[in-house]
Amino acid sequence: MAESAEALVAAAPSAARVGIGGPVGSGKTALIEGLLPLFAARGTSLAIVTNDLVTQEDAERLQRSGLIPPERVVGVEAGACPHTVIREDPTLNIEAADLLEEQLRPLDLILIESGGDNLASTFSLDLVDYWMFVIDVSGGGDIPRKRGPGIVRADLLIVNKSDLAPHVGVDLPLMRKEAEGVRAGRPVLVTNCRTGEGLDRVADHLAHDVLMES
Amino acid sequence: MPKARLSFNRRAAASLASAPHARKLPAMLRLTQILGNATDPDIAERLHALEHDGRVESITLDAADTARKRLRVATDKGTDCAIALARSESLANGAVLLLEEDRAVVVRMRETVWLALSPRDLAAALDLGYFCGNLHWRVRFEGSVLKVALDGPRESYMARLAQHLADGRARLVDEREGG
Ligand SMILES: Nc1nc2c(ncn2[C@@H]2O[C@H](COP(=O)(O)OP(=O)(O)OP(=O)(O)O)[C@@H](O)[C@H]2O)c(=O)[nH]1
Ligand SMILES: [Mg+2]
Repeated sequence: MAESAEALVAAAPSAARVGIGGPVGSGKTALIEGLLPLFAARGTSLAIVTNDLVTQEDAERLQRSGLIPPERVVGVEAGACPHTVIREDPTLNIEAADLLEEQLRPLDLILIESGGDNLASTFSLDLVDYWMFVIDVSGGGDIPRKRGPGIVRADLLIVNKSDLAPHVGVDLPLMRKEAEGVRAGRPVLVTNCRTGEGLDRVADHLAHDVLMES
Repeated sequence: MPKARLSFNRRAAASLASAPHARKLPAMLRLTQILGNATDPDIAERLHALEHDGRVESITLDAADTARKRLRVATDKGTDCAIALARSESLANGAVLLLEEDRAVVVRMRETVWLALSPRDLAAALDLGYFCGNLHWRVRFEGSVLKVALDGPRESYMARLAQHLADGRARLVDEREGG
């Protein structure tokens, strides 16, 4: 009797783990900062793991942001190529996520920000259940055509800094269309993390695909 | 510890009831446990009975996707499924996620397709191994044949291998054709 009750509670779903990858400076941390108030309003219990090369830069930035209690953010120092700790050997990140989950139970969602990398970076599905790849328009409108694995395989592709398109001569609708063209039907969203434009759609996607709220 | 977990359940139930979308009554089927495998004798028996009436639905997944603990997928009959598992659970071929009087849901793993490559000589073998590793391809070694898992469209793998195939450093071995 006690045993079957234990078996039932033990099978409670774990928090969803969502990866955020993308080139240096594309707006990964800005995306998290924009999403935090939205998830807070939705009542989502959230924690964050950040990865930086040899510092805790992004973790400290989020801890100081006032958008989330500091103890809900953990920084992992990759010490190597950023993709190593999200793909080849994600042990450090898995341990950080396990720790957060243990300490902050009940938790709905853990966001894991990779250190800025190149277009080839992808997440191991041993680490995350779902991953987003953030590129920005200032990298050039031809980026999607270059078909990096991050762009092709991510569960959700985000084209950020839409506000900069006119300044860098990028045809945003075309860039989006080409991105959709290489992704076999997987979604592409356009955002402006400065103003928060498009972020509600990102939150909606996560709510549907991993939080199973609708 | 169990106390904390129970509070998780209460909270989940409460947040579900108060969720803004709750009134929409989505036809989503929540699957949060692996009840066993289709090959377990007693489960197999029950599935067999349900199959007769076409009441077994299947979810087909790529091998790579079975590592996920959360998945939003449709069954072959179009039922919208929300899979959310504990991290200790693992999806596998034959995993049974629902087993009721009138319906069952079973996972079917899509078989991985492998590209079999035979290097011309020792130098080509070293070269090919380095090349595939550099691309982070999933590989298997079978004697002198290097097998590459196709985790994407076959054409994109062939495009990357074009040079190796053209200059004879590697040759495709198609086992199905007895090559
Ligand atoms: N104009 C504009 N600037 C943005 C937008 N999103 C982010 N930025 C700016 O871009 C710069 C980099 O943003 P971050 O969020 O730090 O980028 P990141 O991808 O986390 O960078 P790394 O973690 O270092 O790889 C910052 O100066 C941001 O203010 C946007 O939508 N529009
Ligand atoms: Mg960052």
